[in-house]
Amino acid sequence: MANYLAQFQTIKSSCDRIVIAVEDVSDLWLNVKESFEQRLPVKKACLNNKARNPVFVDNLPAEFIQTTDSRLRSRFPQDQYLFWFREPYATVVLVSCEDLDEFKTILKPRLKLIVQNDEREWFIVFVSKAHPSNDQASKMAKKVYARLESDFNTRRRERCCKFDLHGPDAEFWDDFDSKMVDCIRNTLDRRVQFYEEEIRRLSEQRFTPIWNFCNFFILKESLAFMFEMTNLHEDSLREYDELELCYSESVNSPGKHREFGGLDTGDDQAALLNPGCKALTQIVQDDVFREFEFRQYIFACQSKFLFKLHRPIEVAARGYAFVVSFSKTLALQEFLRLAYLIGYGVEIEKSPVNSASLSMLPWPKPATWPSMILQAKSREKIFNIHRKPLPLEPSLLLREANRRRAFLSVGNLSELYDSGLDANSKHSPNKSASNYMTRTMSGPVTSESSLPVDRPMRLSEIHVAAEHALKQTVSDPNFMTSLSSLEEFEKRYMELTKGAADNYHRSWWKRHGVVLDGEIAALFFKHGNYDLAAKSYEKVCALYSAEGWEELLADVLPDLAECQKILNDEAGYLTSCVKLLSLESALFSSKERQAFQSEVVRLAHSEMKHPVPLDVSSLITFAGNLAPPLELCDGDPGTLSVAVWSAFPDDITLESLSLKLSASSSVDEGLKAIKSSDARVLVPGRNIITFNIPPQKPGSYLLGALTGQIGKLSFRSHGFSQDGPVDTDEFMSFENPTRPVLKVRKPRALVDITPAVSSALLMNELQWIGLIVKPIDYSLKDGILHIDAGAGLTIEESQMIEIETYGGDLEHVGCTDASRTSSSSTDTRQVEKVPIEDGKIKIPDWASDVTTLVWFPVRAIDDTVARGASPASPQKQSIVDGMRMIALKLEFGVFHNQVFERTIAVHFTNPFHVSTRVVDKCNDGTLLLQSQVKATVHVKDVWLDLQSGFEHTGKGDGRPTSNLFPLVIAPSSRAGILFVIRLSGIGDLDELEKADSMLNIKYGISGDRTTGAHSPVPVKPDDSEDLLFKIAVKLKRPVLDPCLAVGFLPFSTDCLRVGQLVNMRWRVERLKNPEDASLFADEILYQVDANPQNWMVAGRKCGHVSLSNTQGSRIEITVTCVPLVSGYVHPPQLGLPDVGEANISCNPAGPHLVCVLPPTLSTSYCVPA
Amino acid sequence: MIVCVAVVGHQNNPLYLQSFTEADDALKLHHVVHCSLDVIDERVNNPKRNAPALNETFLGLLYPTENYKVYGYLTNTKVKFIMVTTDLDVKDADARNFFRKFHAAYVDAVSNPFHVPGKKIASRSFGARVSTIVKSFGSGTTA
Repeated sequence: MANYLAQFQTIKSSCDRIVIAVEDVSDLWLNVKESFEQRLPVKKACLNNKARNPVFVDNLPAEFIQTTDSRLRSRFPQDQYLFWFREPYATVVLVSCEDLDEFKTILKPRLKLIVQNDEREWFIVFVSKAHPSNDQASKMAKKVYARLESDFNTRRRERCCKFDLHGPDAEFWDDFDSKMVDCIRNTLDRRVQFYEEEIRRLSEQRFTPIWNFCNFFILKESLAFMFEMTNLHEDSLREYDELELCYSESVNSPGKHREFGGLDTGDDQAALLNPGCKALTQIVQDDVFREFEFRQYIFACQSKFLFKLHRPIEVAARGYAFVVSFSKTLALQEFLRLAYLIGYGVEIEKSPVNSASLSMLPWPKPATWPSMILQAKSREKIFNIHRKPLPLEPSLLLREANRRRAFLSVGNLSELYDSGLDANSKHSPNKSASNYMTRTMSGPVTSESSLPVDRPMRLSEIHVAAEHALKQTVSDPNFMTSLSSLEEFEKRYMELTKGAADNYHRSWWKRHGVVLDGEIAALFFKHGNYDLAAKSYEKVCALYSAEGWEELLADVLPDLAECQKILNDEAGYLTSCVKLLSLESALFSSKERQAFQSEVVRLAHSEMKHPVPLDVSSLITFAGNLAPPLELCDGDPGTLSVAVWSAFPDDITLESLSLKLSASSSVDEGLKAIKSSDARVLVPGRNIITFNIPPQKPGSYLLGALTGQIGKLSFRSHGFSQDGPVDTDEFMSFENPTRPVLKVRKPRALVDITPAVSSALLMNELQWIGLIVKPIDYSLKDGILHIDAGAGLTIEESQMIEIETYGGDLEHVGCTDASRTSSSSTDTRQVEKVPIEDGKIKIPDWASDVTTLVWFPVRAIDDTVARGASPASPQKQSIVDGMRMIALKLEFGVFHNQVFERTIAVHFTNPFHVSTRVVDKCNDGTLLLQSQVKATVHVKDVWLDLQSGFEHTGKGDGRPTSNLFPLVIAPSSRAGILFVIRLSGIGDLDELEKADSMLNIKYGISGDRTTGAHSPVPVKPDDSEDLLFKIAVKLKRPVLDPCLAVGFLPFSTDCLRVGQLVNMRWRVERLKNPEDASLFADEILYQVDANPQNWMVAGRKCGHVSLSNTQGSRIEITVTCVPLVSGYVHPPQLGLPDVGEANISCNPAGPHLVCVLPPTLSTSYCVPA
Repeated sequence: MIVCVAVVGHQNNPLYLQSFTEADDALKLHHVVHCSLDVIDERVNNPKRNAPALNETFLGLLYPTENYKVYGYLTNTKVKFIMVTTDLDVKDADARNFFRKFHAAYVDAVSNPFHVPGKKIASRSFGARVSTIVKSFGSGTTA
């Protein structure tokens, strides 16, 4: 059947569209030909694909051919089946008839004859020649057509349509098209079925000896070709795919040996996209095609359909896979290993194209030994990086070549041995040529020489052999040019690689694309085109880095770094070095990593033209402590320790290191960087760096960034890590951790100072004032307390200040032994004496965290003489008089930045309040002593220095009976001391009025300073504990000559009620004639004194009433008042301001208290008046 | 024989890559795995019109390279498993079965509370389990 192959090829090439036969029964073709052919190609056709699914095909190419045409007539039936695809797909029967009888007798039998052939798909076009104006003719034509329809249409299928020669309507053409497509579809279906069955039949024989691939191929390709003609490219492609599969199986099947490729000129050329490159008849051999050409043919056919299907990307993808796999096949065939070039761009000089692939061939003695490989040393890589060579290097090839050579039959090896090693060549090149054209793996064993060839070939020998063989086989001049020199080859290689890379990128296969970009970059680099090389490398590195493929990055990045170094791109070079350092440490040896670091350090210390901050986030990372954040009070500095991880392989010296904090609440980045004072050297791994933080605003702070300087290079790191070095895949790096490292609290009270003494202290004596200094969760270390005594108060600086622990639960601190032992805090109790200088006290260290009591001696000075009180002159004592102010200022904190200021008031008082009371008219009086202080007072001695006009009775020296003393007066209690005195009778009245008696009290005090008054601080050791208190007491002469008597008249009513008017009546009576007329006029001034809260005076409160100067004259004063509150209240008093008290006697005396009833319940509000 | 298996995160970052060859071609396998992501991307971004089921995780043969066939698998968390084999004739069912076992191992590995999601899988037991699966794949097909 192989002889059909040529025929098949010829038919295939001559036939490019489907044929529609025209059976011109009534000689009408010439009339309709033009309009029919305008319908071609068929605009839209619905065909069935191989899977019997409808497919719409556009522009189906077709051709009308008359059945009488020689092209259709001259075929043998046998040919018709074999090449059925070229047979007509439809038959159009053109008829015309104007007479019914003629139709019945002539036309119909003829038509029946035509359409009885089942093989054909046919339909009838009835052409009506009748002019539309000719009614009769039209009618006739209609009749005939109706008859035709009834005869040839079946129920299932209409096969007739009517064509009006004079103006066919549009409906006809639709009808025509659909009938024609129906026919084509049916024919196609039938033929597909036929071919499928044939193919199946042949396939079944595949493993039998009669199997013939060529026949199979013809059937398969016929089917494919039919699909192609009907524009069913998808099905076509599938046929070729199956063909390829079948071929692979059959070609690999053991048995007959087949040649791989041809030996003619041009047989070494690949034609991947041109199926017609070589005629199939030329590559067939024993009913099987040669693999080299046939695989390319199949691929070319596949590509053709892929392009037609608008799938160029798939062409590229399949092409890539094809080239790769095919090159492997090539290599297996020892034919040409050109394809191995792909993927070894960097190592072009080591590429196998001119090396060992052809090592099996003998070679002529070379004119010159090529030096390409021998000279090509591996490039000295930057950083001394030593990579293991890729598997396909000359050394490996050499081994491989020698291995194969050992297997090779020895036929030509002796020659090889002779010519290669013996200097005198025995053969002509022509003779050897005949040998090395035997490109078979296992040629006939013609053991002409038994000389053992066990010496392995050297690389240079293989190289020479390869080059020679290449020259012999390659015929394409372009390819030869490309192989002629390294430059040319690289040019070609660059061109191809660039194209491939571009196309990969265009089809979004960026990862494939960058692999080729890397090749391009390597070639650029080799040519010294560093700029372009760097650009390409950057592209590669960017992708690998972005996706975190560190192993791949580690392979390319050093090359990029080298480019950058050569280009003097310092910033880029530094970044690359940093990136290299931050890659997984296992990817580089420690020596290499050290080289990276030394490069960074070298550059950092050099004069950089454009110093740029270096981002070392991946290299130097930092984190706060795991402990809770450092808490600082407002205004306080602090020390923050930060763990810094260095990924440098060696110690690295930093010029400076600063930390930036960022406030968590605000986006304000304006915080100043904080410099670290220590650690100029970062060791690899974890370093703890402390930062002294100046006072910050209140708020919480996060770690912001780490900045610093290596040499002259400033760097910056944002790399946070949690509890270990951050992993280097950047896109996974930690977010800025939200955990604050520093909290600065809002301003608050850090310390409280309150006076320890609540009650009054002794005036004019040196007294302790206690201050409770209470730190509130804050250390007062190195604190300084300024004490500024206000007016009337001095601090006794000669005395030491006492500081003791304050136990709030104890009343007496450090007082008695008993209290010490009972105290639970005995152990921690401490007392220390510190000096005071210029009003400043330094807080001792032990006292910095505990509440302490600070005692310091002060003396309140009151120059005025204390005065006693008497019923005649009640003492008007204001508490303000004894008040003294102390301004306190405590400076504390690390830099004394915290200040606490407070002014406290301390109350001082005299020890006693003295009032006099006359006990008896017999001129003796009592002194009432009231202790003013919360301390027991021991009165040791009291004596009274009387003013003139009085004298002690008896022999007394003004002291009461001596056995009275010591008189103990408990706090706030009273004691009376009786002095017996008398009027001395003599003396000036004025003098008597002015002079005071002086009471001297010698006393001691046993108070507690924590409570109040206490014994004064002994300034000198010999100071007596006795204190002397002097107080002036005014003694008055008794009322001896009453001039007026004021009598309170009883109320008119029994009881008083709130709101009821009541008349207060007093009777004033002159008891004797006044001695001094000016003093005692006939008018007297009166004044009603009432508590306004209790009484409302309804009328005049004061006024003059006339009272005659004669003795016994009397007058009544009535004042109307309204009581305002119920209860026992003091009634209003009548006073006579102009008359001295000594001259007024109260007779009868008024009531001390009066009873006022609540108001009566009133219902009058409800009743109209 | 399976020469390499890899887990690739949903950002196409390598999470695990283990080669099982004697030869020193780890870098090459890295390239193969990385390049196969192109195919996965393309498959995922341009699903076939008549894609079988949405939850189909097995991507099938991604592409054949010179010496290898690369198979892919996409979990529902967009983590990709890639298997590189030198076997020329791999049944889809075998590959599917392999990936199912591998997926189970992966799920166990990332369920480890000490595993940081998105980080490389460093678990040794995972590695051991993967080698077992890889070995059983080889024996399963040859037997």
